[in-house]
Amino acid sequence: MTNETKMTARHVDVFYGDKKAIDDVSIDIDNGIVTAFIGPSGCGKSTFLRSLNRMNDTIPIARVTGEIKLDGDDIYASGMDPVALRARVGMVFQKPNPFPKSIYENIAYGPRIHGIAQGKADMDAIVEKALTRAGLWQEVKDRLTDAGTALSGGQQQRLCIARAIAVSPEVILMDEPCSALDPIATARIEELIEDLKNRYAIVIVTHSMQQAARVSQRTAFFHLGNLVEYGDTEQVFQNPQETRTKDYITGRYG
Amino acid sequence: MSSTFQSDAFMQRLAKRHAAEKRFRLLGLGAIVLSLGFLALLLFIMLKNGLAGIDWQFLSGSDSTEASVAGVWGAAKGSLLTMIVTLAISFPLGVCAAIYLEEFAPRTRWIEWVEVSINNLAAVPSIIFGLLGLAVFINTFQMPRSAPLVGGLTLALMTMPVIVISGRNAIKAVPPSIRDAALAVGASEVQTVFHHVLPLALPGILTGTIIGMARALGETAPLLMIGMRAFVASPPDGFTDPSTVLPMQIFLWSDEIDRAFVVNTSAAIIVLLVFLMAMNGLAIYLRNKFEVRW
Repeated sequence: MTNETKMTARHVDVFYGDKKAIDDVSIDIDNGIVTAFIGPSGCGKSTFLRSLNRMNDTIPIARVTGEIKLDGDDIYASGMDPVALRARVGMVFQKPNPFPKSIYENIAYGPRIHGIAQGKADMDAIVEKALTRAGLWQEVKDRLTDAGTALSGGQQQRLCIARAIAVSPEVILMDEPCSALDPIATARIEELIEDLKNRYAIVIVTHSMQQAARVSQRTAFFHLGNLVEYGDTEQVFQNPQETRTKDYITGRYG
Repeated sequence: MSSTFQSDAFMQRLAKRHAAEKRFRLLGLGAIVLSLGFLALLLFIMLKNGLAGIDWQFLSGSDSTEASVAGVWGAAKGSLLTMIVTLAISFPLGVCAAIYLEEFAPRTRWIEWVEVSINNLAAVPSIIFGLLGLAVFINTFQMPRSAPLVGGLTLALMTMPVIVISGRNAIKAVPPSIRDAALAVGASEVQTVFHHVLPLALPGILTGTIIGMARALGETAPLLMIGMRAFVASPPDGFTDPSTVLPMQIFLWSDEIDRAFVVNTSAAIIVLLVFLMAMNGLAIYLRNKFEVRW
């Protein structure tokens, strides 16, 4: 499962009412690597991320045009069910948002509604595997019935990652997953992303350029709704082709 | 060298500010003492007049022309049956309407009009609902007069808007991040609402429901219109039996010429208040039971 294209976007525009938030973005997202979206606040990177699993559908005034494909299927086609799409393209949010239920229940919810587990033992195995992959199992295995909301911020975010993993998605979208965490918790999430990247296509939106440089193999720089530059992370940071990219990563604005 | 904060002018202003603070605290305290004082006075008078009237005969009997034989059970059972009908109709309808309006309804002009109408409906004087109940349930649908069924339906019309409004507020207060979390693992919109939003909104919905029910329990005017003020000498056996309700019984007895009924009136008020307090207690219990701590 190496660098094959998982998702493609072609000439994507996203509108909020009359306002154009994303303008003609075309990008390929590959399997087995981490793709980072960077750019100043309000540049549209989160908006674009949310259009990849149709979370924008929940905003009545949001409208997406152009073409986004997952394994060659148009995700905005009438035959594509957003529920099935979101099972394949999972998401982790800026602020950890565990369900106010037990740790076990947080993980088991997704597999249960999709009918993935065959009985209790199977579900237990799924929960253990997801928590293990998210690097949380050792910390919570003796208190699976405790509330997920009672964990620390960093643990909550790993719980949310485990929750996303539990439904076996193919793509994981992360919308600034570390912005509410302290540096130690951030480092743990970054290690986790490193561990997970071989199994999934991961897209991470981040405000921190250091983070993008540390965790990603590809970097896309967004500015004012445009995709300014997209390439290998090393190249984007060390030898940006566009002046706007260069100005941003050298801290001239942002 | 003295700063602004040590000048005389500043000190005088400071003293004024503290005085204003003290005045407001006294005013607030006064408001509480006044309102609670009236409540205490009411309770005292009712207990003084009525406590003597509460005995087994009173608690188990029904209305009678003889004050010493008359009891409150008939009216209490009537109230109970009426409330069951009201709850069974208004709670599911109100919650469904609240969920639909808050989570599913498209933002069109038509929906805005529905929302305004529901808010207005909650403010309609109750006697109007009585007229509606008379016209629709009794005249059109030929349901029996004076029955808990019709009383309950009429009060349900009145209670439903209250449940819709409190339900919508409770649903609105559920953090959007929970909806995002559910949708992102592939829950459908209905699953998101019923598995995550509704359980978190339930304490608020229940509180609103019980406030609405308590109001319905104390309601007399709409029930006058549908004939629940009749003299009923035996407790109702079912939802279609002629019956009366507690506040109506209080009204009827207070109107009696026989002075002996004064004790009955006060005693019935005590029973009604106990009924209400039990309902409020239930509301608090349910709210605490279902409340999710973050």
